[in-house]
Amino acid sequence: MKPQEIWKRNTKRILIAVVVLLIYIWAFSGIPVIQIKETSGEVFSSIMSGIFSPDWGYVYDPAGEDLLRTLLETLAIALLGTFISSLLCIPFSFMAARNIAKTKFMVGTSKSVLSFIRVFPDIVLALLFIKAVGPGPFAGVLALGIGAVGMLGKLIAESVESIDLSAREALIATGGNPVKTFMFAVVPQVLPNFFSFVLYRFEVNLRAATILGVIGAGGIGAPLIFALSVRDWERVGIILLGIIVMVTILDAISSRIRSRLI
Amino acid sequence: MIEFNHVSKVYPNGTTALNEVDLQIEDGEFVVVVGLSGAGKSTFLRSINRLHEVTEGEILINGESITKARGSSLYRMRREIGMIFQNFNLVRRSSVMRNVLSGRVGYHSTLRMILGLFPREDKDIAMQALERVNLQEKAYSRADELSGGQQQRVSIARALAQEAKLILADEPVASLDPMTTKQVMDDLARINKELNMTMVVNLHFIDVARQYATRIIGLREGEVVFDGPVGQATDEIFSDIYGRPVHKDEMLGEM
Repeated sequence: MKPQEIWKRNTKRILIAVVVLLIYIWAFSGIPVIQIKETSGEVFSSIMSGIFSPDWGYVYDPAGEDLLRTLLETLAIALLGTFISSLLCIPFSFMAARNIAKTKFMVGTSKSVLSFIRVFPDIVLALLFIKAVGPGPFAGVLALGIGAVGMLGKLIAESVESIDLSAREALIATGGNPVKTFMFAVVPQVLPNFFSFVLYRFEVNLRAATILGVIGAGGIGAPLIFALSVRDWERVGIILLGIIVMVTILDAISSRIRSRLI
Repeated sequence: MIEFNHVSKVYPNGTTALNEVDLQIEDGEFVVVVGLSGAGKSTFLRSINRLHEVTEGEILINGESITKARGSSLYRMRREIGMIFQNFNLVRRSSVMRNVLSGRVGYHSTLRMILGLFPREDKDIAMQALERVNLQEKAYSRADELSGGQQQRVSIARALAQEAKLILADEPVASLDPMTTKQVMDDLARINKELNMTMVVNLHFIDVARQYATRIIGLREGEVVFDGPVGQATDEIFSDIYGRPVHKDEMLGEM
């Protein structure tokens, strides 16, 4: 490399560093002085003591709303939402795969639809569905069911694009029509990835379902926000414990199944 | 019987892959097609089961035109023709059994195949096909756990399960070593004799072609330049097909 080029390259690097530094200075200068509320220490220790002396009576209450029931509702929202999105994403993922879709137009359209869906965070979708179908778990199910299509469709389309299509030629040669060819040459190659992505999305949805209740879309989030607002720390403690136990157990089961699939 | 009636194939870019091919292949023949790469061997083979369309002429199989066949009659005609590929074209993730069973899809309704329900007899047929290539103990292994030679024999079993009357083999041994080449070619020869299945095989190696063929068809630039019993295919004939003296690497040797 000529000395001139080295000098040019170094100047470029210094310039970039200066610009990045300026952006940081500008960004930090906009933050108000960090203030910690005087009560925060007290709140934190209350939460901790709540977790260590949880309200065991809330776990099961035959008469009214209890922990197990709301946890079950949360799980049901996640399961149903994942199930709906796993069905909805199938046509999109094949239409968005360059090696399967017939035209570039179809691929482009499907990919844009999928990215459009991915734009909305689950919470925003849930707010929209609460307006559409009223508050409750059904709004949560719809939000997760539609919201996950974007991610699942994209991931599955990419895994469809990576499969080996030579078996398709063999199936055509045996006299298979396009549907049979698809079922035998394409589906077996995509299925393990499909289930793996769906299970992963279930793990994500389960976490998402725990906060949907905060905005009124069903599940454990609602009692949590109520307990927090009345400073019932023992209640908060048991709810957090319940969420931790459920998410940990289901995550472990789901990852074990996924590791066996691939 | 396969009849080529003045068959030509010109690709959209102007390349002539087949030029006025006019010949018949009788039942039970073991035909080996030779020629340089690009001479039209693969197009010749693939036009028989219409994986490739021809641009002129007609191909008849047992008197029925596959060139004109449409929809379900095309599927039924393809069902009678087994095919073996250079790269095996198995579903590598699926079991050997499932790959062999996929040769049976032409016999069942689409709905049944979506559900993947094969009758008991099909599983017996598939098992017998695997026995014929000596792989019955691998039936429930995944296809990608097998060696190249074994995978190629699975694809032969798939063609057998299809209960085809004719097997097309496109460079079936090109990606195999000499040892497995012999096994695969022996399997094909045995099936040809025992089941009287017609074989049409594209081969690269001249000595392998001589050893197994009953008839040799030589293609050069899409034209049939030699067609006769294997005894007449002398070294001079091969030089003529290739348009130059035969090279060492066109002999497999060691056989």
